[in-house]
Amino acid sequence: MTSSGQMGSKPQQPDSDYKSLPESYGNTEAALLPRDPNWMFLYWEITDNSKANLAREHGHDVFEKARHVVRVYDVTSADSKKYFDIPIMIDARNWYINVPEGGRAYCCEVGLVMPDGRFIGIVKTNTVNLPAGRVSDVTDEKWMSVSSDFDKLLQISGVEYIGKGSGEVAKSLAQRWEMLRSVFSRAASWGVSSLSSQALSKPPAEKKFWLVADCELILYGATEPDALVTVSGRKVNLNPDGTFSMRFALPDGNVDLPIKALSNDETDSRQIEIKVTRTTKNDGK
Amino acid sequence: MENKEKGYFALVLHAHLPFIRHPEYEDFLEEDWYFEAMCETYLPLLDIYERMSSENTDFRVTMSLTPPLCNMMSDELLRERFRRYYNQRLELAEKEVVRNRNTQFHEVAKMYERKFRRIRELYEDYYHGNILDGFKKFQDMGKLEIITCGATHGFLPLEIRKEAVYAQVKIAADDYKLRFGRGPRGIWLAECAYNPGDEVYLKANGIRYFFLETHGIIYGSPRPRYGVYAPVYCPSGVAAFSRDMESAHQVWSAEMGYPGDHRYREFYRDLGYDLEYEYIKPYLHQDGVRRNIGMKYYKITGKVGLNEKAAYNPAEAREVAASHAGNFMFNRERQIEHLNGFLGRKPIVVSMYDAELYGHWWYEGVDFLEFLFKKLHYDQKTVKMITPSEYLERHPDNQMIQPSMSSWGDKGYNEVWLNASNDWMYRHLHKAVERMVDMANRFPNADGLLKRALNQCARELMLGMSSDWAFLMTVGTAKTYSTKRFIEHTNRFIGLYEQIMGNRIEEKYLGDIEWRDNIFGHIDYRVFSTGAQERAARGG
Repeated sequence: MTSSGQMGSKPQQPDSDYKSLPESYGNTEAALLPRDPNWMFLYWEITDNSKANLAREHGHDVFEKARHVVRVYDVTSADSKKYFDIPIMIDARNWYINVPEGGRAYCCEVGLVMPDGRFIGIVKTNTVNLPAGRVSDVTDEKWMSVSSDFDKLLQISGVEYIGKGSGEVAKSLAQRWEMLRSVFSRAASWGVSSLSSQALSKPPAEKKFWLVADCELILYGATEPDALVTVSGRKVNLNPDGTFSMRFALPDGNVDLPIKALSNDETDSRQIEIKVTRTTKNDGK
Repeated sequence: MENKEKGYFALVLHAHLPFIRHPEYEDFLEEDWYFEAMCETYLPLLDIYERMSSENTDFRVTMSLTPPLCNMMSDELLRERFRRYYNQRLELAEKEVVRNRNTQFHEVAKMYERKFRRIRELYEDYYHGNILDGFKKFQDMGKLEIITCGATHGFLPLEIRKEAVYAQVKIAADDYKLRFGRGPRGIWLAECAYNPGDEVYLKANGIRYFFLETHGIIYGSPRPRYGVYAPVYCPSGVAAFSRDMESAHQVWSAEMGYPGDHRYREFYRDLGYDLEYEYIKPYLHQDGVRRNIGMKYYKITGKVGLNEKAAYNPAEAREVAASHAGNFMFNRERQIEHLNGFLGRKPIVVSMYDAELYGHWWYEGVDFLEFLFKKLHYDQKTVKMITPSEYLERHPDNQMIQPSMSSWGDKGYNEVWLNASNDWMYRHLHKAVERMVDMANRFPNADGLLKRALNQCARELMLGMSSDWAFLMTVGTAKTYSTKRFIEHTNRFIGLYEQIMGNRIEEKYLGDIEWRDNIFGHIDYRVFSTGAQERAARGG
């Protein structure tokens, strides 16, 4: 099923509209999407006009002086005031946000933290409710009877005739599901097994208390959409708007990432080299 | 005599392909996906439904036929191209029977000849080119329950505007009514992807139930008393059935699953590569590149190279399918007996698969189903096949639970459709939705050329929303094609949007796009209005 989409013969009517997508839409806005219990994806656009306004209000060098951040608010309940900041680059235009706790509601705000600690919000996102990713602690039961045309929606009580079952059913099924999930992904050709990365595995069960942690490396950037970009000599596929990003495993040691961009007419080039060092210390307990 | 069964088994097959139709080309590679699925899965399924009905073997299947698939099945151009496809295959199969006389491949060559003759017979003599009538016939008989899917298999948890969620469901329900003469009772949410609360838009369209991956219910709240072995009601009253992982695992598992048996047909060794070039060339695409043509003469054989495979033996493979069906039934009987005692209620075991697994990927899978239906009908009394509608009629009282966000993709959530290979799509998709909603609100009563342009905008947006594009980018199969499709539909939307807002619609440009992307002939752009969505959310 490899494809070019084009079969050699001339089309009866040529495609008149094959061009790349707009780089921007001229609005300062941001959106937040749920990925899984611990990750969200955030994208934003900040127009030159908005940037100019910020510079007028807070000084022409505000973007150099301030730290660029995403402020992540936990908005699960109206009175919760919890938030934390993630350092970003405003020009990255998107970011994956890791949160410590699933099952909660979050919204984000892209902004600047001034040297005196003041926060200047630029653009806020929608709210996302992340799944909990585990069996619920709530064991109250409610029962309902529904007729085929939704005419009757009856909440009922009294489960005596309904059978045994118990809150433990969900727990034991969850264990089995997680086990099966970890040993197989959907089948070969059409499935997505190639995706499965090394999952964090829990240490053996005899120790009660435990900790696992790991980290990965995300590299991102942008250039002209038709440029040729390589990272460590390997060609990188650009998104239609000229951005690119890559996620690497990050083992202990040094990683060198030379990034080169060559203009489409091959007359101009730019180079950035990033060196990353990781050291992991484990107390061995 | 009644109620002897100890529990129920619901088989759910999800049949879907993205809308692929290219009138601008004489011959288009990706259209083959549809033709292959027709020959290997959709028509063979109808074949067994026909046979079992004529033998009075009772059976129940729940099957989604997604709106893109229904639109392709009833499209005149694809109908003609499909005829060309199977006639060519039949011609080759006939030549092959002669060429392979007195060789070890004679039986398998005869199998293909019979197969393509039967395809032609079903398609022409039984259904007169409209196989939806075939499916409808079995639905009307009460054997098959056809359910719908989001209009273009849109991935709903990654939509921000609820107008888009409503439009996916409403357009699908309207398309279903047109084809099957009544509204859909159930829906397959694309990729089983569920976002809590979205089911109110199902309810607004009279849809009673949908399906979830296992953890959608297991991680729901409050805790589900019966796990996945009884449906639950969302707070809105829409029912959710959840996937049994044991039966899924038995078929899907790469190591232990049935399809890996060494006597089954090898998918990757294909005549398109094996036959002498000049002989096979007329059956390849116009570019003359060797590709799979769907005729394969070898069995899996074992862990050996493709050139060391042994000849396929159709009779032997059929025996294996029968024994696997027996094994599957045995496991369901024991599972249901156990659950019945353990839960104190008749459990329902819901097994959900991509329909194309049967026949296309697992060639003998359709035989397996036929054996399974027959064995369940004649050989046991513990398990009763059922559709979700029938189940809810018998058991209208169920626990009320808010299911969890979930999907059946790798890792169980949204990552397959949201990762570094495809996350760039969403800002464009969301912008198009926002603009479509604005236009639907701004023009409540458009007519003439403006109405045509707005309707075409709705079609382009719908086509861009297909979860297939993001999926193909992730798995790297047909990545170029899927990227091109997403960009094309988005650009066509933008082009029309700018013409509409600039009050300068070019009829020629519009006409060209209408000719290319003709899905949903009856679409009404006002489905995207905020008023329509809000009424649905209020239950009106």
